[in-house]
Amino acid sequence: MATLDALLGLPGAMAAFEFRGSGELLDHRIAYPDRINPTLLDLLAHMCAANLSIATLQARGWEQLTAMRGFYPVQAFTLIGFDWSVVVSGLNRERHKQSGQVSSLPPFLGVVMANERADYEAAFALLEGPEALP
Amino acid sequence: MGSNPVEDNNAMSIVSELLTRPGVIAAGEYAYRGDRFSYRGALSEEHARIASIMCRATTMGISMEGAMLDALCPDSGLHPPRGWVVRGPGQTVCVVANVFCLFDNAQGSLNAILACMREALDNRSQDLI
Repeated sequence: MATLDALLGLPGAMAAFEFRGSGELLDHRIAYPDRINPTLLDLLAHMCAANLSIATLQARGWEQLTAMRGFYPVQAFTLIGFDWSVVVSGLNRERHKQSGQVSSLPPFLGVVMANERADYEAAFALLEGPEALP
Repeated sequence: MGSNPVEDNNAMSIVSELLTRPGVIAAGEYAYRGDRFSYRGALSEEHARIASIMCRATTMGISMEGAMLDALCPDSGLHPPRGWVVRGPGQTVCVVANVFCLFDNAQGSLNAILACMREALDNRSQDLI
């Protein structure tokens, strides 16, 4: 699976972190400790967990109301901040669920990137790549 | 186009531009106060209205969360938020300021669409009015 160290190798990466569905920060790597600290990552993890849940609710509702498909299950949520962006993914968890491994779900993964160098598609590829399969 | 268009030529210009991009299904704009929206593309008026409401609600929520984040950890580089993206297995919705874009993952490029939206909308006021 994508590792925190691999995520930190993405263009413009400033920090990588993993967290539970409840938002609890489990582990992290910080490339710029003068700009990012674990407290910020913990708050960010809670914020991202909340927004992944809301996006999942909206995706299910949208697909029911419109009969359109393609949003559920939500694979990633991205916050585009003023100078930084955060990409988080729970796809690896979905793969575990679909393979019946619900008792040992892996954590959500996230990466903080500087906007001016951020490559969102590279972040998705790393977070969602086949190497992330259980 | 929606029946209650937002009168903003710049926003409608970026909406038209987005519709020329590969994979874009629909794009539109909503008023932060929630009383108007406009759109172009392959959505019904009712579905565009629902999309506008969901995008507006998420934008307002993220703005509030960003302010809380900034209060607890100032100068992080995240506040104020410029937008957000939700990516599903087949489609993605991308929002910058009060403009939304729905596109097909197989044909569209988030990097390209986001660059286009940010170029057009980065100077827009951060006031959610």
